[in-house]
Amino acid sequence: MQWLKQLFSRRRRYDDLSVSIQEHLEEKIDELMEGGMSREEATYAARREFGNVTLIEERGHEVWQWPVLESIWADLKYALRQLFKHPGFAAIAVLTLTLGIGATTGIFSVMNAVLLRSLPLPNPQQLFYLQVPGGQPYGATNTGNTSETSFSAPVFEALRQNHHIFSDLMAFAPISGIEGKVALRVGNSAEQAKGDLVSGNFFSGLGVAFAQGRGFSLTDEKQHSSAVVLSYAYWTQRFSRSPSVLGQTIFIKGIPFTIVGIASENFRGVEPGQSTDFWIPLQARPEFDPWGTSPGDFTLYGSPNWWCLNLIARLVPGVTPQEAIAETNPQFQTAAYASLGTPNPKRPRVKLALIPAKGIYGLTDSYREPINILMGLVALVLIIACSNVAMLIIARNTSRLREFSLRFALGARRSTLLRQLLIESVLLVALGAIGGWLVAIGATRTLAAWSQLQVNLAPDHTVLLFTGVISVLAAITFSLAPLYIAANAPVTGALRASASTSYQTRQGKFGGNVVLALQIALCFTLLTVAGLFLRTLLNYENTNLGIQTQGLLVFGITPQHMSSTDAPYIFYRRLLARLRVLPGVQSATFTELRPGNGWSSNIEAVVDGVKYPFSQVRLSVNHVGPDFLHVLEIPLLQGRDINDSDTTTSPRVVVVNETFVTKLFPHSNPIGHQLGDPKRSYTIIGVAKDSKDISVDEGAVAMAYFPYTQGEGAPSTLQVEVRSTGSPLALLPSITRAVHEVDANLPLEQPMTEVGVFQDSYVQQRLLSRLALSFGLLATLLVAIGLYGTLSYRVSRRTTEIGVRMALGARRSQVLNLVIWESLRVAAVGVATGIPLAFLTGHLMESMLFGLAPYDVVSLVIALASVTCIGLIASYLPARRAASIDPMRALRSE
Amino acid sequence: MAKNSEQRDLFAGALELMILHSLRLKPMHGYALVKHIKQVSGDLLQVEEGSLYPALQRMLKEGWLEAEAGISAKGRPTRIYRLTDAGMRRLEQEVSSFEKMFAGITRVLAVSNA
Repeated sequence: MQWLKQLFSRRRRYDDLSVSIQEHLEEKIDELMEGGMSREEATYAARREFGNVTLIEERGHEVWQWPVLESIWADLKYALRQLFKHPGFAAIAVLTLTLGIGATTGIFSVMNAVLLRSLPLPNPQQLFYLQVPGGQPYGATNTGNTSETSFSAPVFEALRQNHHIFSDLMAFAPISGIEGKVALRVGNSAEQAKGDLVSGNFFSGLGVAFAQGRGFSLTDEKQHSSAVVLSYAYWTQRFSRSPSVLGQTIFIKGIPFTIVGIASENFRGVEPGQSTDFWIPLQARPEFDPWGTSPGDFTLYGSPNWWCLNLIARLVPGVTPQEAIAETNPQFQTAAYASLGTPNPKRPRVKLALIPAKGIYGLTDSYREPINILMGLVALVLIIACSNVAMLIIARNTSRLREFSLRFALGARRSTLLRQLLIESVLLVALGAIGGWLVAIGATRTLAAWSQLQVNLAPDHTVLLFTGVISVLAAITFSLAPLYIAANAPVTGALRASASTSYQTRQGKFGGNVVLALQIALCFTLLTVAGLFLRTLLNYENTNLGIQTQGLLVFGITPQHMSSTDAPYIFYRRLLARLRVLPGVQSATFTELRPGNGWSSNIEAVVDGVKYPFSQVRLSVNHVGPDFLHVLEIPLLQGRDINDSDTTTSPRVVVVNETFVTKLFPHSNPIGHQLGDPKRSYTIIGVAKDSKDISVDEGAVAMAYFPYTQGEGAPSTLQVEVRSTGSPLALLPSITRAVHEVDANLPLEQPMTEVGVFQDSYVQQRLLSRLALSFGLLATLLVAIGLYGTLSYRVSRRTTEIGVRMALGARRSQVLNLVIWESLRVAAVGVATGIPLAFLTGHLMESMLFGLAPYDVVSLVIALASVTCIGLIASYLPARRAASIDPMRALRSE
Repeated sequence: MAKNSEQRDLFAGALELMILHSLRLKPMHGYALVKHIKQVSGDLLQVEEGSLYPALQRMLKEGWLEAEAGISAKGRPTRIYRLTDAGMRRLEQEVSSFEKMFAGITRVLAVSNA
């Protein structure tokens, strides 16, 4: 604490010193005057003998200081004063850095959350998702997001015995697959929530902590107990964190479950990219089949060939994933083929893979490529921002050469000067980093809303570290600039030259032009990319869907407590009858799969008893309600629509689409032919025009629409399509009432407009185009600022030269052209460099484009036009200023 | 942290030694110190007035000296410097090390003369 005491006693020490020195001088003066000098002479002599009082006091003070630290502090204060003296420069530099660092940090936050961040669980590096590259064995059936992530119950049982490899192997699967949520009743209110079926060791194996109550045990799994654990978020949102919910009963799909625990706040489940609201142990009853549906009459425990469970493992410490695979793979293969008979030797054997449970898309890779592209784009923005600031700093330091020369002349050391310039750079970067951090926090909120990702995108300490690293890199870049100045500032040259005389070497100007051209190249690339994404988005928006989506409302409905096999049909018929007469409803129908939501059901086509392999025709099927084509306004080309007379007992019928006809009946009329297994075939009664089934960007697909009444058993959930006369969403309250008249417990599942369903199918493309456009505009703005700043600076340096030119007869238009041409020449070089760069980038993102080639001429031309505009606009103001120079005044100032 | 390089003393530490020794006789203020050293050395040693004060600050910091408010001979406020116990010990050390050094130098000079 000695230093602290010193710090406070310092002021007194300084006063002591001043008093001493003052008295010293006075006494000496007195003495000299006694010797006969005048007061003036004596003062002069005393001071001369004593030396520089201020300097000596300074040296006395230094004893009490930390010289390095304190001179840095002094430099910092000086740097701040300098920034306040030039607020324009400071504002532009800090703002540029703020935008550059902010954008980079924002995108990195997403990258971190989506690709890098581990699950918020103890020892997350031991957690791995299990996968089967290539899908489950031939002959088995799967339900799940992809066939690579699903496992059968016997395989799970066999693998979980390996306690020397997996300290725990956990199974999980959503209760409802297609629409994600299940009906839930708390007291009297019906609602929906996202739930997972999990094995008994799910919470203990993952190491989830509990805010309240307990998790599950293996007994819960064996007995399929009716216990439920809620997520913290759901507890907060639905029960306002009431501690009394433990022991309360909630009804899931109409079955009572008792709340036994609340998971800790940071655990959102292990479903990739989604948060789970509640968990229940694996159940044996068919209502709780994983994914809410099973092909045919499969059950979780009764159908060894049904692959429907996702697995996540915690490895025993010290076991590597390679060892785990080597050890368990033979056993996995035995279990996989146990119920399928001898595997076909011609087909590759299934093989186990372990994927680190990192990021939210550990299971799918669909976000990796777009995020990498975005990271690349934002890096370009950062480069532009940093080079801009570097040029600003160089320009400003060059205009301060006189000051530096003066300081050299007065004995300043180059190292002192360098230190001060570095501190100025570091100060700028620090301010920019703080601003960037704030921008990033705001940007990630917007991004989370835009991307519709249910993940926490808020920057964490990894992101903070990242921001720190890029700031340090930026600071280093800017330090190179003052280093150049400090090493090259002449002591005498700048002092001798007048302020307005150009002091710009040919070399310096060339360097500046290279940086500007590079910036323009990068900007051109970013604009091309933005153009490509925007045009992709436009293509998505303007694609003819074949369905009139405007005015269509869609929601799901799951009838409950159905006592007989006919009961669901009666329920659906009553519901449709009720909806049809609702005011504001033009027409209504059912569909098993919502067009545009990404799901399809595919079968092998059997026409008139002839089987067409999958490789030849992929037939998508859907089960739909009466007047389906009419309600969705899909044009009918031939025959009739499915209607109310197509019931469970009437002759089986099917409507096919154009592509179906082109592929299977190229030369004949399909009407009257039979589709499906001869034992249970359907007569083709109509042909519909092609329409989009799963997404906007799919190609032509052969489709068959069956009446929902003629499938194998009643669908457990149907989607209701309602065509409204006005705004579809305005109908919701009256529809909700109408549904409740039929069954008071039923919620409307995921009600939305059909327009919205299709829009959601290209959320990622919309997000990409918005971000790419933001980056493009940001880059344009930065480049414009950089170009404008550099040209203005050059014009101000060349005032005298331009004055001379004009005095010698140059016209104003010639001066104007002089500056504008300089800018356009640089722009031309930039574009020439940018075109290959843009081609390369376009090529990299080819898979993300829709309806256009990566070498899209329109995008290139737009980018070219934009860059030319920047070149003209940014140079026009400085050029006009140059042209308005008064030659007399310019020369007089020399 | 002191900047010894700018000292213009005869040799490093000589000024400190003289200050310590002078203050052992009696506490003095700055100007009195200068005059004292000049007088005692018979004008052979000139104290660079500029170096005196930084040296005093260094010694204050080391704890060899104490400064207190006082009045100069002419009745003006000044600071009187006084030797502390630590300063006294320092002086003894310095004196003995100087004596050794002088002895060494003397011997070397004697050899070259012979």
